[in-house]
Amino acid sequence: MTQGVPAAIQPFVMDTAFWTATTIFLLAYAVIVSERIHKTTVAVFGAGLILIFKILDQREAFHVEEFGVDWNVIFLLISMMVIINLMRPTGIFEYIAIKSAKWGKGDPFRILAIFAVVTAVISAFLDNVTTVLLIIPVTILIADALEVDALPYLISCALASNIGGTATLIGDPPNIMIASKAQLNFMDFIYHLTPVIIITMVFYVFAIKLIWGKKLKTREELKQRIMSMDENEAIKDPVMLKKSIIVLGIVLTGFVLHGALHFQPATIALFGAGLLLLLSKTHEPHHILAEVEWPTIFFFMGLFIIIGGVVKVGLIKWMSIKVLEITQGNLFATSMVVMWFSAFASAFIDNIPYVATMNPLIIDMAKQMWPDLSGIQLLHHVNLMPLWWSLALGACLGGNGTAIGASANVIVVGMSEKLGKRISFGKFMLYGMPMMIMTVVISTVYVWLRYYVLKI
Amino acid sequence: MKAKDLMIPLHEYLKPDNTLKEAANILRTAKRDEEKIGVKGLPVLDENGKMVGFLSIGDILKAVFPAYMSLMNLGDFAWDGMVEGMAKKAGNKRVSEMMTKKVISVPEDAPLMECVDHMIKNNIKKLPVISNDGRVAGILYESDVFFAIAKAMLGENPEGEK
Repeated sequence: MTQGVPAAIQPFVMDTAFWTATTIFLLAYAVIVSERIHKTTVAVFGAGLILIFKILDQREAFHVEEFGVDWNVIFLLISMMVIINLMRPTGIFEYIAIKSAKWGKGDPFRILAIFAVVTAVISAFLDNVTTVLLIIPVTILIADALEVDALPYLISCALASNIGGTATLIGDPPNIMIASKAQLNFMDFIYHLTPVIIITMVFYVFAIKLIWGKKLKTREELKQRIMSMDENEAIKDPVMLKKSIIVLGIVLTGFVLHGALHFQPATIALFGAGLLLLLSKTHEPHHILAEVEWPTIFFFMGLFIIIGGVVKVGLIKWMSIKVLEITQGNLFATSMVVMWFSAFASAFIDNIPYVATMNPLIIDMAKQMWPDLSGIQLLHHVNLMPLWWSLALGACLGGNGTAIGASANVIVVGMSEKLGKRISFGKFMLYGMPMMIMTVVISTVYVWLRYYVLKI
Repeated sequence: MKAKDLMIPLHEYLKPDNTLKEAANILRTAKRDEEKIGVKGLPVLDENGKMVGFLSIGDILKAVFPAYMSLMNLGDFAWDGMVEGMAKKAGNKRVSEMMTKKVISVPEDAPLMECVDHMIKNNIKKLPVISNDGRVAGILYESDVFFAIAKAMLGENPEGEK
């Protein structure tokens, strides 16, 4: 089976454990894609099987970073959710949205463009689902006030949130996972991904101008409805708001400095969540904690264990050998394959399990290319770095391709339906797919130019 | 005293495929009793006379209240004329979309305390009363239960004579 493979990458044996883990992994994937059973249930049950069949022992699943739950990801997500849950009742998000609409002077397209930018910026720092949940209700209120079609605002909100989320370490779960596995810090993402996302947003605004600019028209007297809204009325708890802004400031400063201070991002976020809980003087933290999206958290935990199982038995290593065979070790080709494959894969399947699978795959590829290196020297090899960025860009931006590509899209489509404005799968794709291709083309040019031509 | 002694007999009802516009008009013109006009809610009956839901004026309020306003604190940003605008759109919705489908009702022979029990535990002010043949015989209103209690407190007999 392994004849002809150099000793250094003598990978594994295709024994019972290999096939058991592979079967659990493939079945879990298939059921998640089919959406017959809730993905969290599938992930938790799959993880249970990995342990029961002794693919991993419990210590590996809970305490070994290489195979088990990535607590850095888990605590970063939980802590950020707690911070947002504490901030939400202050009215800050309503304030920002109304302020933005007034900034647009009541002009429907200007508001659409400003909302897109605001959504992208908020998504860069909060998770995308939270962002769209906070923006969408105000968006529809504004569309109703202006008596224009809400559809452009709804779709644009999802698309912009996925683009914006790509910009930072904490913007989108794939980035959080990549950062943790590849030991990249907040500033690495700012330095490598934020520039291309800013460029992408400029193109995005031109693109929506082209698509919707002419259709969005309103009457002068309706603009007055927007202009007469008083955003200050949105602030329900100014004291808590001040505390929240201080804590958010500390957390963001902490993220910027976490690499230099040798803290993991989760440490910073957990400290922020704890501090804000303390300052809120709440006597009922269980309300705040109950609002954490536990299904998402458990989805991650289950998934990490399933992926850990297939990493341990060598399936991922086998896949990485195949990828290298296809690209013949050419790193530019590899990063392009990674980016475009990730984009189309993420458009149709959840990018969280996808990236959870790709992370160890890229590490295994690196081990084969540079068998003498290990640790940070391996993970941050100058020729490996573009692969991480390609994975992040592909997996995050790919989410825009279809209505099921990213959780933000699912939320937007779900909410729209509830609000009586149905967006069909085809309708979303009509806007999402071209937008995905445009943004991935921009990323392709960026990665090629920056890492393979200019090499900066 | 039993439910049937206090209920207002049913004169009118709604159909599931009535539009809200039609329903609103029926609600505001329905006879409550000999003198009063306008009711706060009516049962929705299918073609066989079976009750499939209940539509109250609260449901009409909900019909004009955009779902997005319940998701966030947006009440401060409503504009004059918003309700009227929403009402025009909501007028063509069907009764079946807005009605309460799980209706709590009582048999006509239910003792009054059973009715009070439903009203308090489920926070409802109108209780359809079902006759022995399964049809909606009438509606028992919270206010009429109150009048019965008031009479009992004041020691008046059920006919209201001292």
